[in-house]
Amino acid sequence: MNKIWLIIKREYLTRVRKKTFIISTLLFPLLYLGLIFGMGFIAEKSKQNLKVAVIDKSGYFTDENIAYQNSIDDNSTLKLVKDSAESVIADYKAQGYDGYIVIPPINWKEGYDSLFFNSNKSYGSAVKAPIEAKLNRIWSGIKNDSLRIDTEKQTILTKTLTVTAKNLEDEKANANTAEGIGYVAGFLIYFILLIYGSQVMMGVMEEKTNRSAEVIVSSVKPFQMMLGKILGIGLVALTQFLLWIAFVLIVYNVGKATGGDMASSIVGGIQNMFTSVNVPLVLFCFGFYFLAGFFFYSALYGAIGSAANEDMREAQSLAFPVTMLVIISIALMTAAIKDPTGPIAVWASIIPFSSPIVMMARIPYGVPGTVPWWQLGLSMAFLILGFMFTVWFAGKIYRIGILMYGKKPSWKEMIKWAFRKN
Amino acid sequence: MTLLELKNLKKYFATQKAVDDISLKVEQGQIFGLLGPNGAGKTTLIRMITGIFYPDEGQIIFDGKKFDPIKDVEYIGYMPEERGLYKKMKIGEQTMYLAQLKGLKKADALAKIKQWFIKFEMEGWWNKKVEDLSKGMSQKLQFVTTVLHNPKLIILDEPFSGLDPVNSNLIKDEIYNLAKNGATIIFSTHRMEQVEEICDHIALVNKGSIILDGTVAKVKQDFKENLFSIGADQMPAVNGETPFDIVGTKAEKNIVRIKEGRSSNDVLQYLLQNGAQINSFNEILPSLNDIFIKLVEGTPAARQFQKV
Repeated sequence: MNKIWLIIKREYLTRVRKKTFIISTLLFPLLYLGLIFGMGFIAEKSKQNLKVAVIDKSGYFTDENIAYQNSIDDNSTLKLVKDSAESVIADYKAQGYDGYIVIPPINWKEGYDSLFFNSNKSYGSAVKAPIEAKLNRIWSGIKNDSLRIDTEKQTILTKTLTVTAKNLEDEKANANTAEGIGYVAGFLIYFILLIYGSQVMMGVMEEKTNRSAEVIVSSVKPFQMMLGKILGIGLVALTQFLLWIAFVLIVYNVGKATGGDMASSIVGGIQNMFTSVNVPLVLFCFGFYFLAGFFFYSALYGAIGSAANEDMREAQSLAFPVTMLVIISIALMTAAIKDPTGPIAVWASIIPFSSPIVMMARIPYGVPGTVPWWQLGLSMAFLILGFMFTVWFAGKIYRIGILMYGKKPSWKEMIKWAFRKN
Repeated sequence: MTLLELKNLKKYFATQKAVDDISLKVEQGQIFGLLGPNGAGKTTLIRMITGIFYPDEGQIIFDGKKFDPIKDVEYIGYMPEERGLYKKMKIGEQTMYLAQLKGLKKADALAKIKQWFIKFEMEGWWNKKVEDLSKGMSQKLQFVTTVLHNPKLIILDEPFSGLDPVNSNLIKDEIYNLAKNGATIIFSTHRMEQVEEICDHIALVNKGSIILDGTVAKVKQDFKENLFSIGADQMPAVNGETPFDIVGTKAEKNIVRIKEGRSSNDVLQYLLQNGAQINSFNEILPSLNDIFIKLVEGTPAARQFQKV
């Protein structure tokens, strides 16, 4: 036991003291925020403003209704062409248009479903959709006028019925907040599994490659060595996570104190989260699924690291099936968030390989409202059994792999090692 | 007193009988040379002695008791052929870590490390990283980490590779010292001149079995070919009567083989009677290198796969 403690200490301290740990701890939240805001910014900046000639042969389109649409919507500008149609079609470029649409002589009672936006480039829906929307708004105006529907009636016609899902057993539950928290929690676990899982793999490979493994196993059992490494790196991940929670709390408190515009929206978001979600339970479950999921996967990654040689590609090809499991979990999570009580969500949150990610996405919807206690208990019990199995399995492979040089074993051979006596 | 005894050890792998029925005795304070060509099974044998592998069959008796791979590793120091240290770790911390893994208390470990670092002039290394060291320097460090916890049994796999003569001698003296203070040393190598110089006792392993086991002097006697080198003026001509055949010359000396049934006295007598002026007369014992090659010769250079 004392020896495992020494190994944990070494693994933990050598990693936490590294500059890369400090930098990544600080940068990750910034990158995360940057990604969210950056995407919106890029979408805004990359909007294309085209000049489109509308060659109207139906006679419904007028300069007024087109000008009105151009004024309320600054996407691509439309321009009505009536007389010089032939010359525009022949040479739209020279006349300053990016493309043209020909509207044939159609009746207002029937729509028309084969208009073409003709141009010399391929445009995607990001360009096509706003043009289509603009034309349709004009078309609606034309229909309203012809049917003599005034503004008041138009307002009445736009009224619809809205249905919101409400859980009677958990009145506070707010599906939007829950969805947000579910996504964040699921993705955080996903990142942790992949990033720290591969750290375990690389750590084991390093020991094997520089042959320190041989010195260490002459002092401790290979199983202790593997367990020490997994626990040490797990603690590093936990430390990083606690620092992030501290970061959020600081932003929250500073935001509340200063009360700036941007800060208050963050504070509001967090407050909203506190009122609609059982935060202590979510945090406890996050801690559990994060650690148990980490043990489950890092044991497998450790076994792969011990079986591979210096070659990074070998390790990657062996790790592929394991990484696939993590990626499938994320796919299952998106399905589970859309329908948190459906059969996919229930089963995926109980089966060990996907439960760390999928269950974490469901829990914010409410326990026991959405996730009954028995499901949570079963999921946790299975995950504990699951990681005990993977750690045992990995230990068997590790013991043989760590001192084996030469040919890369296949998964079939590794499974044979695990079930071999002695 | 016997420190280590191996009884009928066997370890088979999927394609190899790596160790096939090996029995050995190593006495306390001995410097024991474990020799053998590449792939003979030396490393597998050593890994069983260090508790890394469990034997399929057979027994290891360590210090009078059955070997306990968990407790007894504290009394063993093992320096593998491939040097294994963490490149990014500071040297002081790394040495501390390895010493503590061997069961030393922190304070004891620190005192011992200081002592050894002073002895090997490594005091300034404490905060350096292993990646900053040259090959020879990291070799010295590895040696220190191997012997730091005062092991009863020290196993050194090619300890001199990559060392310059000065550092080689430093380590060699330390090996003698350790043996004098009661440590037992198993020394695995292919470098025969070092074995001849350092070891008391050798065992030659080939294809997983012991093919030769004895003291260096005895082994040499067993393999001698009755060769003598004679430095003499007016060497008499050789005919049917002479008690020896001349097999060659080397550095103006004749190399002779004494005929079956004759002794070296017969040779001297013959030479003196025939008016030779003898300047030197030496027995030529085979070098371990010759014996090694002779015994291992005919074995394919690479070990073939075999059915187990």
